[in-house]
Amino acid sequence: MITREDVENIALLSKLFVPEDEMDNLTQSMQEIVSFADTINNADVEGVEFDNINNLSNALREDVVKPSMPKEEILKNAPEQAEDHFLVRKHS
Amino acid sequence: MGQIAKIQAMLQNGEISCVELTKKYLKAIEEANGELNAYVTVTPDEALETAKKVDEKIARGEKLLPLEGVPMTLKDNISTNGIETTCCSKILEGYKPIYDAKVWEILKSQNAVLLGKTNMDEFAMGSSCENSCFGGATNPFNTDHVSGGSSGGVASAVSGDIAAFGLGSDTGGSIRQPASFCGIVGLKPTYGAVSRYGLVAYASSLDQIGPITKTVEDASLVFDSISLYDENDSTSVGKSETTFDKLDNDIKGMKIGIAREYLDGVRDDVKEAVLSAAEKYKEMGAEIVYFDLPALKFALPVYYILACAEASSNLGRYDGIRYGYKTTQSYEGTHDMICKTRSEGFGEEVKRRILLGTYVLSAGYYDAYYKKAQNLRGTIIKAFDDAFKNVDVILAPTVPMTAFKMGEAVSDPVETYLTDICTVPINIAGLPSVSVPCGFNSKGMPIGMQIIGDKFKESTILNVAYKYQQACPENFKDTKWGVKL
Amino acid sequence: MKYELVAGFETHIELGTDTKIFCSCSTEFGGEPNSHCCPVCIGLPGTLPKLNKKVVEYGIMAGLATNCEIANVSKMDRKNYCYPDLSKAYQISQLYAPLCNRGYVELSNGRKIRIHHIHIEEDAGKLIHNHGDTYVDYNRGGVPLIEIVSEPDIRSIDEAREYVEKLQQIMRYIGISDCRMQEGSMRCDVNISVRPQGSDKLGTRTEIKNMNSITFITKAMEYEFERQVDLIENGEKVVQETLRYDDATNTTSSMRSKEDAHDYRYFRDPDLVTIKVTDEEIEEIRAKLPELPYIKKQRYVDELGVPESDAGLLTKYRNISEYFDKAIDGLKKPKTVSNFIIGQIFRVLQTEEDKEAFDIKTTPQQLNQLCKLLEDGKIQNNLAKSTLDKMLETGKDCTEYISEEDMAGLDDSFVDELCKQAIEANPKAVQQYKEGKEKAIMACMGFVMKNSKGKANAQEVLEKIKSMIS
Repeated sequence: MITREDVENIALLSKLFVPEDEMDNLTQSMQEIVSFADTINNADVEGVEFDNINNLSNALREDVVKPSMPKEEILKNAPEQAEDHFLVRKHS
Repeated sequence: MGQIAKIQAMLQNGEISCVELTKKYLKAIEEANGELNAYVTVTPDEALETAKKVDEKIARGEKLLPLEGVPMTLKDNISTNGIETTCCSKILEGYKPIYDAKVWEILKSQNAVLLGKTNMDEFAMGSSCENSCFGGATNPFNTDHVSGGSSGGVASAVSGDIAAFGLGSDTGGSIRQPASFCGIVGLKPTYGAVSRYGLVAYASSLDQIGPITKTVEDASLVFDSISLYDENDSTSVGKSETTFDKLDNDIKGMKIGIAREYLDGVRDDVKEAVLSAAEKYKEMGAEIVYFDLPALKFALPVYYILACAEASSNLGRYDGIRYGYKTTQSYEGTHDMICKTRSEGFGEEVKRRILLGTYVLSAGYYDAYYKKAQNLRGTIIKAFDDAFKNVDVILAPTVPMTAFKMGEAVSDPVETYLTDICTVPINIAGLPSVSVPCGFNSKGMPIGMQIIGDKFKESTILNVAYKYQQACPENFKDTKWGVKL
Repeated sequence: MKYELVAGFETHIELGTDTKIFCSCSTEFGGEPNSHCCPVCIGLPGTLPKLNKKVVEYGIMAGLATNCEIANVSKMDRKNYCYPDLSKAYQISQLYAPLCNRGYVELSNGRKIRIHHIHIEEDAGKLIHNHGDTYVDYNRGGVPLIEIVSEPDIRSIDEAREYVEKLQQIMRYIGISDCRMQEGSMRCDVNISVRPQGSDKLGTRTEIKNMNSITFITKAMEYEFERQVDLIENGEKVVQETLRYDDATNTTSSMRSKEDAHDYRYFRDPDLVTIKVTDEEIEEIRAKLPELPYIKKQRYVDELGVPESDAGLLTKYRNISEYFDKAIDGLKKPKTVSNFIIGQIFRVLQTEEDKEAFDIKTTPQQLNQLCKLLEDGKIQNNLAKSTLDKMLETGKDCTEYISEEDMAGLDDSFVDELCKQAIEANPKAVQQYKEGKEKAIMACMGFVMKNSKGKANAQEVLEKIKSMIS
């Protein structure tokens, strides 16, 4: 059973605010989805270990420097920047 | 003949210049997009610039590269340097990537003509395209109906002939389902066949880029071009063989499997269309083999657990600091800013999936959900492996229904998730599958079937699909929209 | 009641690779903010990580050097937490299948501090807080780290210090990190609990995060030990929490607030594939490892007759021991070289940094040549010492300063004559010697050495004078 507190906790972990008036609705809708997800626990088959789809290993890169991007490009999409840094002001 | 071959022949023999052709498409977009809502960004300047280059090449008497000069589109989750890539989410408002996705790099190097970026469910989460912050793309067969999702915009554009082909992405059916709804061809390649580099991640272990086209030849040509090993993507494999040269191979004696579970709960008109396609194959000398695939019954919950878990992690980075939307409300401190940005920037379905994903990974639930789902993924893979010991391909409906009306996508999320029931097992198992049109319902809406192959057997499924297209061309219909070649 | 300290360490060490762990950006320290960045390390949507081969190799080296078992199969996981210095809102790390497991570091008191595991992961970017505003620089973001997680086996502040110093020394020796704590390339989290002496139960522990100096670590541990003992003595409970150490006030304080309640939701990173290493590959890496400092030190003591404390100094830095190993080539008494290094060369290398760099003008071959002359009795100690001083200044060979004449040695009769003169010139000293004042004879010695310009063999002169007097 998923509770209001559970939803509050996962919302906090997900960095999402849930308005008070949506809380009950969301809890219920989460409960439905979770009950649906719960059906896997009725699976009467034995699990098979899964690693990765094509069982790949050692996709490795040589330790050779390639030029980085100009900092202007790196910062180009930043909502706010100052002195070559991404900036988060304390208030707005 | 496919769209691509037609266009290239016209360009080569001087019937039309690439600039003229591009202008035709741009004009058609202008006329149709109001109703189809397929494009969210149109890039006329870039398109015409490329077209000019192609014309110069033709003037010099050079031979065209495989996709050169062909007007096309990309789903809005494929990164394009300098061109907005928003995943149809408010949270990526104004974001212009500073690098190209590998697939776009390949197409660009062939001078494919990018007309613009197309509509989708926000972050590819949805089955109707209506979860887009721009509103959904509509179905060219009947614009009261949805285009399907999540690559609804690409499907609508290709079906409506306002792009000769497009690239979509498929995490749980997002290429095949809209292709099926819009009466065209959609190929979800084997996981690892096409580089994911630059595809904005929804669920990394399931996502795969693939072509959405009018014909099987087109899908084959595009696949042969974009399926390459990419060192930037650790899960990249590339392709084992080209597909185009094998399209017309004889399919006599081929074993086509039908899993009984795949026909459960499917609407009658859809079931009938798929079974009559099976009959067609029998006539062509293939053998139809019925078998059971009981593992399928867990596929949907397994999919939602794994996809949401990965999504909750992949979507953590949208915090209003480096790119995209940042809250316009006043805030107090970084945490507050991030929470407000995310709460305002993400749509309801995205938030719901992030929350579910966070839940199934959180302390105390990981074993019961995520780990269990991961093991069942292994079970499903094994079931398909076993099936392919006895059959060459599997034939199945793409969607249990035809395109529903706009706004009808039920508000109940679990009910909505059921539309993905036929497509998600393929992503879970990482298999290739192509959806091809196989008929129409009584209202004239297209029905699609998928041909599923073993890993890296794109050449086999496209061969089987092509044979069907040759036998039943009446199921591949044009709509009233767009450019008629 | 007496209390015992129980502590374990999580040590983060930045690896000295040229590029970051998942992209080809440079790891160079410093540089303008956000100038060592690319779409991958700032976490742009759609980017994918590609693991640096050298990080795996360095991780294995660290494991082998600390007696770990190297996993043939290991995997990368995501550690999810949202913080502005983490561009993807998750750190790629290892939890479920780390690269190295079950090792130990042995301390000088013979105790083994067990290592639970070592994993590889990426560093976060840097935040600068200014009047509440946050400035973010991702140059450090994606720099490779290893995290060495010990068992709670440390029982005293001294052991803690030695453990950290030992890790630092080992990692520098094998060349995988410069371990500069002041630059942040080595950082420690310490978990501490206390218990009554003799008890084998573990108390509630606290964790002090992110300390980057050995002094801070020891001070913080002392403070935290006292604090916990006080709590218990006053009948209060130690609360399990994460603490920050403030060196200005020498206190620890809680770091937790509601908004960073952590549940890391670790899961396998689907963007990265399995890391597989064969036993052969592990052995190849082992064969390339230099002799480790603690093994080398023991060898110097056992085989070369170097006193233990000197052996410790010689093996503290790899450059010193490598110099020493070359300089002793073919010598009967390696201790001579050790004396020159510790006595004279260290005088010109005053700071620890200088000693570590060991950048001197005299080559080990040149020192070896000088020591051979000494060993063959061709020159005397005093001359050798003064010559080495000159060599260290100019970088020239010893033969530049020692003439044939110097090396020819002295005629025995000439020495006899000088000894006689010495006895005649110092009657008072001779008298005192005869009365039992052994040291008085040094006056005669001095006379001979002075008049032979230091070339006489001091031992021989002493014998001669003694026999002449008696």
